[in-house]
Amino acid sequence: MDETYEGDISMKKVNVCILQSDGTNCDNELFYAFKKFGGNPQFVHVNQLRSKTKSLKDFHILALPGGFSYGDDVASGKIWAIELISFLRNEIEKFKQRGGIIVGICNGFQVLIRTGLLPFGEMGKMSATLAPNSSGHFECRWIKLKAEKNKCIFLKGKYDIGYFAVNHGEGKFFSTPQVIKKVEDEDLVVFRYVDENGNSTQQYPQNPNGSLNAIAGVTDPSGRILGLMPHPEKFIDSTQYPNWRREKISKPHGVFIFEDMINYVKENK
Amino acid sequence: MIHTIRVKTIIGRDLVGEGILHDIHHTLGQKGVTQVESAKVYRLEGISEKDAKVLAEKVFCESIYQKYTLNAPILGSQLVFEIAYKPGVMNPEVGSILKTAEDLGIKLIAADSSHEYGFYGPSTGSTTLSTSSLRVEIEEIAKKLHLLNEMVEHFVTEEPKTLLIKGTPGKTNVIRLRRMTDSDLLELSQDQLFLNLEEMKTIQNYFQKIKRDPTDLELETLAQTWSEHCAHKTFKAKIILDGKEKEPLFTRLKKEALKYNKNIVSAFIDNAGVMDFYEGWAINGKAETHNAPSAIEPYGGAMTGSGGVFRDVVATGQGAKALVSTDIFCLAPPDMDKSKLPPGTLPPDYMLKRVVYAVRDYGNRVGIPTNNGSFHFHEDFRAKPIVLVGAYGILPKAKAKKGKPRVGDVALVIGGRTGRDGIHGATFSSGEMTERTISVNAQAVQIGNAIEEKRIFDVILEARDKDLIRVVQDLGAGGFSSAIGETGAEIGVKVHLEKAPLKYQGLAPWEIFLSESQERMLIILTKKNLRKFLEICKKYNVEAKELAEYDGSKRLKVYFGREKVGDLEMKFLHSGLPQRVMKAFRLPSVAQGLRQNQQIKTPSTEKEWIKFLEETLSGGDSNSKEPILRMYDHTVQGTNVLPPFAGVGLDGPQDAAIIKPILEKPYGLVVSHGLNPKLTKEDPYWGTIWSATEAISNYVAVGGDFKNASLINNYIWPNPSEEWLGKLDASVTAVCDFMKTLKIPVISGKDSLSATYRGSSGVIIHSPPTVCISVFGKIPDVKKTVSSDFKKVGSTIVLVGKQDLKVYLKVLPKVLEKMHKAIISGKVLASHDVSEGGLITAIFDMCVGGNNGVNIKANAEELLLETAGCFIVEVENETIAKKLFNGVQFKILGKTIKEEKLVVDKLFSADIDRLQKAWTKPMKEIFP
Repeated sequence: MDETYEGDISMKKVNVCILQSDGTNCDNELFYAFKKFGGNPQFVHVNQLRSKTKSLKDFHILALPGGFSYGDDVASGKIWAIELISFLRNEIEKFKQRGGIIVGICNGFQVLIRTGLLPFGEMGKMSATLAPNSSGHFECRWIKLKAEKNKCIFLKGKYDIGYFAVNHGEGKFFSTPQVIKKVEDEDLVVFRYVDENGNSTQQYPQNPNGSLNAIAGVTDPSGRILGLMPHPEKFIDSTQYPNWRREKISKPHGVFIFEDMINYVKENK
Repeated sequence: MIHTIRVKTIIGRDLVGEGILHDIHHTLGQKGVTQVESAKVYRLEGISEKDAKVLAEKVFCESIYQKYTLNAPILGSQLVFEIAYKPGVMNPEVGSILKTAEDLGIKLIAADSSHEYGFYGPSTGSTTLSTSSLRVEIEEIAKKLHLLNEMVEHFVTEEPKTLLIKGTPGKTNVIRLRRMTDSDLLELSQDQLFLNLEEMKTIQNYFQKIKRDPTDLELETLAQTWSEHCAHKTFKAKIILDGKEKEPLFTRLKKEALKYNKNIVSAFIDNAGVMDFYEGWAINGKAETHNAPSAIEPYGGAMTGSGGVFRDVVATGQGAKALVSTDIFCLAPPDMDKSKLPPGTLPPDYMLKRVVYAVRDYGNRVGIPTNNGSFHFHEDFRAKPIVLVGAYGILPKAKAKKGKPRVGDVALVIGGRTGRDGIHGATFSSGEMTERTISVNAQAVQIGNAIEEKRIFDVILEARDKDLIRVVQDLGAGGFSSAIGETGAEIGVKVHLEKAPLKYQGLAPWEIFLSESQERMLIILTKKNLRKFLEICKKYNVEAKELAEYDGSKRLKVYFGREKVGDLEMKFLHSGLPQRVMKAFRLPSVAQGLRQNQQIKTPSTEKEWIKFLEETLSGGDSNSKEPILRMYDHTVQGTNVLPPFAGVGLDGPQDAAIIKPILEKPYGLVVSHGLNPKLTKEDPYWGTIWSATEAISNYVAVGGDFKNASLINNYIWPNPSEEWLGKLDASVTAVCDFMKTLKIPVISGKDSLSATYRGSSGVIIHSPPTVCISVFGKIPDVKKTVSSDFKKVGSTIVLVGKQDLKVYLKVLPKVLEKMHKAIISGKVLASHDVSEGGLITAIFDMCVGGNNGVNIKANAEELLLETAGCFIVEVENETIAKKLFNGVQFKILGKTIKEEKLVVDKLFSADIDRLQKAWTKPMKEIFP
């Protein structure tokens, strides 16, 4: 039987739950990214958690991929967020208490924001949003991102600038000034969109969606949850980068996120 | 009772409202309106007010930046217009609303969503005008801007009493066909069956012979099976060209293609052509037009066009994974004078925007990257544009062929429900378009639901890998009638139509049978696999129902409950259609080669050159399509190795798409295409050779190996009169000659021979005859490929190939082979094919990508000749160039320079920045 459907789960490995819903479409490349750096990823459809054929108990990492869950209907990630709140709330709380880590990319980030898990780790209470891009439409481009000092417990301090793909229509990180201040004060900002000089920017298209304070990715106060709009999983092989033929790439820029997550689990199991 | 929730953005910009205001000011030039605001409307039926509030607060409204009202207006304007889908048109959002309510423990009976717009301005505030006359004014604006498409949407003028569509099942009628006169038969055919008199009489004779009249379902089934769209009557016709009998076009293509079968896994028999890949994998490809529906509703038409081709690729063999798609649009120029538009047609700028948004909203959602495409503008596309979508996939070679249904096997319909939408799509697309088309054939249009499509793809791939599927067949044109009729052709099948899940009641059995509702697939399997298959469907939230059983009767028997509504012999259905004998004549070839389109006066001064280049580069076919491509997702799946744009500023256009289908393996799938409607119109033979050469050159320019490539040909041709058929014959001969030259096969194709519009006043518009050649194939290592952006300063620029007024087929294979060898040697730094606009625009593209310039020697003719099959190549130095291209014609043009200028010795020096502004401006204005 194909391992992509029924995988082997042994707690000796770093088990990654790649959660799917109707419309998830960046799951294959996310699977590949975890696998390439020593993880043991499994595809799990949200219905399998609902029917209890699969359980978060068996996993160290919960990863929510990009895509258009339920068609982005009403608002991106909304329908999936409500689904998770409605039946998986306790299991997710337990998963966090057991030391599990959660990552949401693009649509996965939109879900984490709309569940309230990001930025303040309060499931069921939404504090920020990812609103429609200021350009008014979907954006598919490569942008520069800078990681900064932050609370995320599994990302090692690498504050380099990297190129990442963004592909979304609703990615504008937005909230009240009080919430934004709290996010900043508590070091919850992990990534910002930056210009050529590495300064955070509100300029389009370097900041592709008009995010306040150029915020591209955040963690929660526990540091166990990471969400970001850009796609690290789409730059883990050099040939995935548009200019691999003209620029020397010693290490694809998305790699460190997967390496750090897997190493963290290995060190803290 | 219905509760209505309205949601509005209160913090931040109202992007939708601003966009409409922009269009009112810029497109209509009407400054009277000063502000437009928008709101989203949700209608919920069968719940309490308390529950409606819960849904508003938890689901519909994000209080961080929005507010809502319950059963009250939200927009302050006196002039509020609500635009909703017409009842019966599927609103994809409704399923999600019902689901999320259920997750919250709220049981909705029905729901809907729509948009509201409020208008402000001096004229709207005027006291001299009554509100009702202002409403008329704004309604006019809304219609002019096509804020609603009356095919599928309407203004909501009163609160609906219910959202449920009721109806009693329609009846099956017997048509008194046996007694009909010829004129009765023709009248019956017009607008409904689209068959000719001979075909109608063949059907009449059959029923006279079996001594009964047909049911409406039987007649519709015959019309669908025998439609041009499904039966390809012209391509299978005996042709009498200038008095001499020739083999059918299809036979000629197939005979030639099958000579080059080293990579063919399956050709011409499945929904897509399949060729060998590596390590037990195969790749498949298909391209198809969706012109007729797109002409009357471009958004829905282009969406369902994408959806249909994706399903063709997935429904190949026992199931494939779709990897990449291409979009090719031929439209009237967006700035064309609107007075040239014939009645019943839509303005080209609106068409352009809507087809682009359709690709964005459908392809992005299904998660298939759109990596390649092109636009071609010509005024003769104003009535019947071309919307051509290609898709490519991967599947295990062992499962690349369909099984055959066996007696006792069952057919399930999975995915979307069946509605009235899309009825007569197959027959309609085969007919000519007239002014009546837009009003009579409204049901031929529908809105796609990309997520439903994604779900069924997920089911098919898992079921395939678990060996559960015998046959997977797309429910596309002709719906159940086509898919069940075809799969049961050999053994016979019994259908129970009452089991089909319906969107709403009230469909007659023939409508259920013929419906082309999107996002449905037919899965045929042995009964013992049924349970496991249904479990997979449940996992992915896909509805599945058993609909038919293959029974060995060699008949197509259709029941609706106990009533037998159709019973046809498979033999008559599939072999009863008389072969057409069609006359054609060939005009002497006018051009005898490529048009010398530089009849335009060659510029003489530097100033004239710069002006000329600005005009060329800002022209519709050549200008930068980057703003469009940035809305198409081309990185989803992580497989993209060459994006549509690359280079320092990621703005240099590339020739083809390269995909790494298996992420952990180095193997590449290369995809490209070529077409030139202007040239095919002028000379069908040489225009076709040019199109095919352009396609293969795009393919080779990036590192594709033409010897391991397959071709797909798509014909979009005016209705085949004797003259047009003669031209089609010439074009098919060209495709056969091209296969012979390169020794590679066409393995899939499609024809759409209805590119003719007839207006009531006698106006006839033939769209330019067009053949699009698509190329796809395999390479062992994606690292041995090249992009078009110049890489270095001081490197040598070479023209490879023979420039002339026509393509020299004799030298083409040699040039392509040299190019390929040069690229895999790793010594080519950049390469780009010469196409429309000639050598100078190719070099311009390469400079844009490299952020540098060139200093070259060439004369005006060399700069402008649009010879396909020529390449501009960047290599380190002259010695390398000579070594690489020894044996074919090549010319050292000059060197790359740091300064961003196009310097042509003795002719001109032009600022690239200035040219780039002209090149990017047109599409930036349409897609800000």
